[in-house]
Amino acid sequence: MDSDTIMEPMDLKVRELLKEVQLDYSSATTKLVDDTVSAIKQAIDTIPEDLKVTADFAPQFVRDIGADKVEFNFKKPKLFEIGGSYSIRCVAKPDVDIDLFVRLPKECFHEKDYLNHRYHAKRFLYLCIIKKYLNSSSFIRKVEWSTLQNEARKPVLVVYPAMELAEVPGLSVRIIPTATSLFSILKLNLKRNNVCSLKQDESTPQATPKYNSSILEDMFLEDNAEFVKRTFLGWKELGEALILLKVWARQRSSIYAYDCLNGFLISVIMSYLATDSGRNLINNSMKPMQIFRVTLDFIATSKLWNTGLYFKSQSLLNISKEELLERKQYLRLFPVVISESLAHFNLAFRITGGGFLELQDEAVLTLSCIGKCKDGGFEELFMTKIDYPAKYDYCMRLNLKGNSDVYALGFCLDEECWRSFEQKVHFLLCQGLSDRAKFIRVSWKNATSECNVENGLSIFDREPLLIGISVSSLEKAFRVVDVGPNAEHKDEALKFRKFWGEKAELRRFKDGMIAESTVWESKQWERHTIIKRITEYLLLRHLSLSERNIVHIVDQLDFSLVNGVGDSISFSGSLLEAFEVLSKRLHLLKDIPLKVSSVQPLDSAFRFTSVFPPEPHPLANEKSAVPRLNKLTSTCIQPLEVMIQLEGSGNWPMDDVAIEKTKSAFLLRIGESLQNNWGMICTATEENVDVFMSGYAFRLRILHERGLSLLNRQNGSNQLKHISSVDKELFTRGQHSSMINGLQGCYPIYGPVVRLAKRWVASHLFSACLVEEAVELLVAYLFLKPLPFYVPCSRISGFLRFLRLLSEYDWNFSALVVDINSDLSPSDEKEINENFTSSRKGYEENAQNVNPAMFLATAYDKASEAWTRFSPNSSELRRLVAYARSSANLLTKLILGGQIDSYKWECLFRTPLNNYDAVILLHREKMPYPQRLLFPSEMNQGKHVAQGNASKAFHPFLLPEHMKGNSPDLKDTLLVDFDPLRCFIGDLEAKFPNAFKLWYDSLGGDAIGMMWERSSSKKRGRSEENEEEKDPVNVLKAVGEVGKGFVRSIYLLKSPRLRN
Amino acid sequence: MGNDMEVKKKKKKQKLNCRSSKLLEIGENVDKVVQENKENKSSGKKKRKREKGNQVHAGEAVKFSIEEDKSNEGERKRQKNKSSRKKNRKNEEKNRVVLGKVDRPEEEVAGPGQSKTQSKTENSNRPEETSVAVDMRTSKSKKAAKNKEEKFTKSSKKQVENEPDEVYHISSGDEDCSKGMKKWIMEYHQSRPGLKILQQRIDEFITAHEAEEEQARKEREARASEGGWTVVVHHKGRKKTTDSESGIAVGSVAQAAVMDKMGKKKSKEIGLNFYRFQRREAQRNELMMLQSKFEQDKKRIQQLRAARKFRPY
Repeated sequence: MDSDTIMEPMDLKVRELLKEVQLDYSSATTKLVDDTVSAIKQAIDTIPEDLKVTADFAPQFVRDIGADKVEFNFKKPKLFEIGGSYSIRCVAKPDVDIDLFVRLPKECFHEKDYLNHRYHAKRFLYLCIIKKYLNSSSFIRKVEWSTLQNEARKPVLVVYPAMELAEVPGLSVRIIPTATSLFSILKLNLKRNNVCSLKQDESTPQATPKYNSSILEDMFLEDNAEFVKRTFLGWKELGEALILLKVWARQRSSIYAYDCLNGFLISVIMSYLATDSGRNLINNSMKPMQIFRVTLDFIATSKLWNTGLYFKSQSLLNISKEELLERKQYLRLFPVVISESLAHFNLAFRITGGGFLELQDEAVLTLSCIGKCKDGGFEELFMTKIDYPAKYDYCMRLNLKGNSDVYALGFCLDEECWRSFEQKVHFLLCQGLSDRAKFIRVSWKNATSECNVENGLSIFDREPLLIGISVSSLEKAFRVVDVGPNAEHKDEALKFRKFWGEKAELRRFKDGMIAESTVWESKQWERHTIIKRITEYLLLRHLSLSERNIVHIVDQLDFSLVNGVGDSISFSGSLLEAFEVLSKRLHLLKDIPLKVSSVQPLDSAFRFTSVFPPEPHPLANEKSAVPRLNKLTSTCIQPLEVMIQLEGSGNWPMDDVAIEKTKSAFLLRIGESLQNNWGMICTATEENVDVFMSGYAFRLRILHERGLSLLNRQNGSNQLKHISSVDKELFTRGQHSSMINGLQGCYPIYGPVVRLAKRWVASHLFSACLVEEAVELLVAYLFLKPLPFYVPCSRISGFLRFLRLLSEYDWNFSALVVDINSDLSPSDEKEINENFTSSRKGYEENAQNVNPAMFLATAYDKASEAWTRFSPNSSELRRLVAYARSSANLLTKLILGGQIDSYKWECLFRTPLNNYDAVILLHREKMPYPQRLLFPSEMNQGKHVAQGNASKAFHPFLLPEHMKGNSPDLKDTLLVDFDPLRCFIGDLEAKFPNAFKLWYDSLGGDAIGMMWERSSSKKRGRSEENEEEKDPVNVLKAVGEVGKGFVRSIYLLKSPRLRN
Repeated sequence: MGNDMEVKKKKKKQKLNCRSSKLLEIGENVDKVVQENKENKSSGKKKRKREKGNQVHAGEAVKFSIEEDKSNEGERKRQKNKSSRKKNRKNEEKNRVVLGKVDRPEEEVAGPGQSKTQSKTENSNRPEETSVAVDMRTSKSKKAAKNKEEKFTKSSKKQVENEPDEVYHISSGDEDCSKGMKKWIMEYHQSRPGLKILQQRIDEFITAHEAEEEQARKEREARASEGGWTVVVHHKGRKKTTDSESGIAVGSVAQAAVMDKMGKKKSKEIGLNFYRFQRREAQRNELMMLQSKFEQDKKRIQQLRAARKFRPY
């Protein structure tokens, strides 16, 4: 344990991580592996020597790859050898597959079999025979096809042993044929053409570097494995670092792919760095994390990638001229070159340019995680899943199943048809999106499990092709006009026209230039769909695809923000204008004792984060004329809170009640004055004063300066208690509002993400648990601390990351610090940390009861008192986390998966009603804004306890007879801030204190979930056991009575647990 | 939508004056269900039964029907169109059919099974709610609910033997201002009596408050002077410029200026690292802090290990 005291937390964690992922080479495991290998050997031994093998074993496959002359007589493999990660003890769980090299016998091949896919066909037939005999072995559960690095012409066999070990579930052995010294290396030179179907149409044969590399790879598999083994065996730290790198890469599905990185290539790069050739950047004295970092740094920044990595061989010290020429050729053919000089073959021949850029970028990001994140970025490095949906701002799926155009030219030429298609799509998108996109990743995984490769290659198109697009900047992504070449450059203009078709138009720009251009007219709040429109247009134009086969994930969740017919965010502009005018008028007021010194917006609608910003109401106007009202005019109007500060004065009273009364008096005077000066209608209660203007209702609040000045004094912390809670709340809200407003200005996509997040929280009946401001802070965190990602640039990726943050953040042990203007000093952070630790002191005794369960610290609130002090509590948070996790999983599946049609996007916002003890359904037509209801709720389970009629006292829309009246009367019918749900909840909580917990949707849901409060019934259980009132049915009836005219029906699902 | 429903209702009222308003209200409520179950047909027998059953409730509700009529007069005037009579009639029948069904279980004491099937048919043409699969306790709760349901039917039978309704019926509350929607609306209007009245109330409060304070002050002074002391009072001659509590200048002096001045004041305290013992102590404290933090980290890691937080898959 002593060693613990010197280690850093990062090292400790890494050690724990290694324990989790390292394969234990216990006797049981090694025995299982050895048994399986020997079972395979035995099965192969039963194959009769000189068995005649013809194309009939897999005619379709042979035809598809276009091979001729494939007959051979079966001979036993020359060698069985375990290679790969298992042999160097660097297996990283959970994927435990052991590579078994099976050397193909030379007798089965002719020396010219490198031509025309003959080698590939024979290799496959050889495996077919083996598979046939393996199936009869009792040691083996099943044998499946897979492919070597997604290369369809090079299938491998995956063998699952019959016995399974608990510590290594899903262990499998991959049978990989090797072709050591089957052919002459010279014939497979990169300049040579070896596929004759490519030769025919052109006079000069086209070189087939990819095809040649594919064969060379098999020829040098054993050598390379041996080389890696030499470096790794006996070097524990290097092996551990390899495992770490594998874990790191595996969390990043965009780089751990066939056209980028794999375990073998990582080990090759590390071997390079650990030997002379790589200048011994990795040496024996390094710890695993250091090696990890050095390797990443090399990947991210090394200039050597431009020239290629070459392993020096001992015998050849000087590089000959031919060699140099050859290297240049490599670089022309492949974006990345890793080569052993003797082998004349590029180990990294599959890496694409796009893939490598992505890899370098990820490495850079990871390095900055190590520097910037807490605890050395352990979570971000190894534990955070960076998959397509979270990483890319826009994801697309192309469903190409059965699309014969993909392989119109043949399945396999130099490259396979799927890879060429990827390139085609990539090229199209790059050209079409130009600088809108930072990265475009196109990947088409050719799933093979449970496929019969014998039946040909057409089955490889089952998985959808996946496209991920990272946006460079929002201004560029939302740009409406793309300027093309000048009209004078005829050639380019023609090209442009050819590419864009009818979308291209000639335009004269402000600076007098006449140029080809494309215009993507769209409304301000629909700009996020521009990229979708461009990509769809191009794909439809250039590829023979039908529209329904293109799924672009952009606007699938927009339905949840629609208020009636459209997104009311479009009215935000007019709202801000109205606020400006109001602010001016307030400043101009002269007939009040103290002048208005500042006016600040508080409501979330002012900062674009309100789910339903109000639309201007025709009746909330200064003019007395009756406007023409359309059919559905709401009777309710949401007030928007505005905070006013007055000049300082010494005449304020001293006690809280009197201060509040004085404030009200002031507000009334202000209201009256506004009414007199500008004819603005004013309506007030004892607490609130609302004024109508330009279709909006503004609710005025006064922040009393005395409270503020006290609050600003940091040293007199004990005086803080003197400030009335109203002032403190106003102050924090003001601070919050201005901070979020600033953030919103920097990140235009912040608003939509918050709105989706708020809608999600509410639609799962968490309105009472998580306040709006807390949601805003959570989303703000995503934008301020985006690592290991970039700042989200689309609403869906932002929303997904919000759900993941909620579900994965370690709420029990970490405070979430939202540092909006990076104005927290180290001492502030220390203070926050101290506050946090003191809040967690009780954890050891009682994990249930930690307050606040969700610790959200900001510059204006270092003790998390403002928003999450009382809610969510631990159990509510657990529920929130569970919901967030399942929603995040569902959303991920929806983005990635083609097959799950039964799931719908709507389900993200549809909440199950069976998780409550009782459910109250409300009259939908009696809610203030019925159009905001997402899904009408119905119950088909539980006991129907009560049902009620709708009241006639309230209608959400103006009735015809109202419309006939004149304006003043009409204005009296307008209800400011009337919310029956809130009234109902308030009455219930007053009447049944601590009897049950209510879950509801304050944004317009028609269901309320109830849960019996357990602890309280325990305490009082004995004394009131006999009371009739405690009978759940009676309680629910009484609940229904409280909500007369609003409650539609009540269902009982579960009685309190402590009855009887 | 809401309007339409009321229109239908009105017709009913005109035709069947003898029927209770309560029944009508139920009818309105079930209207929707009816629309969903248009194919649902049932025999007329139940209908009649239902009618009888409801007559029991009728008595009290009659007078309210008059009230309602008044309030909706304007609406009725516009409703001169009588062509839809037949339709309404039909609708009515259906209403009653469904109502009959709801009532059946306790009339015939058929048990929970039937009420369940009933609710199922109600929802059969609704798309199955595919909900986000947070299955916290569904599987068990269904069974439990069934069991309980039986219990309830028993217990409720005992308790309310002479009440025929199992599904408790809540009235619309339009006649009752003490609860529900009507109350909320009323409270809303009561809370907005107009600016003048509000102003008056506040003035009254402030005067009363000031008087109270004056009173309290006098008492205090009186108490103090009882002991033979004379209280020296600071009179109101000069305007107050400092806050008595914090000593900050208020009013005439700008807030910012004060803050500025306060900031410029030299702190009289001796720097924390002036004496050697202070520095030493600070160092020791820091070490202790580090140590305790490390201990915490270790504990933390154990907890994380227990929670399998190190498994990246």
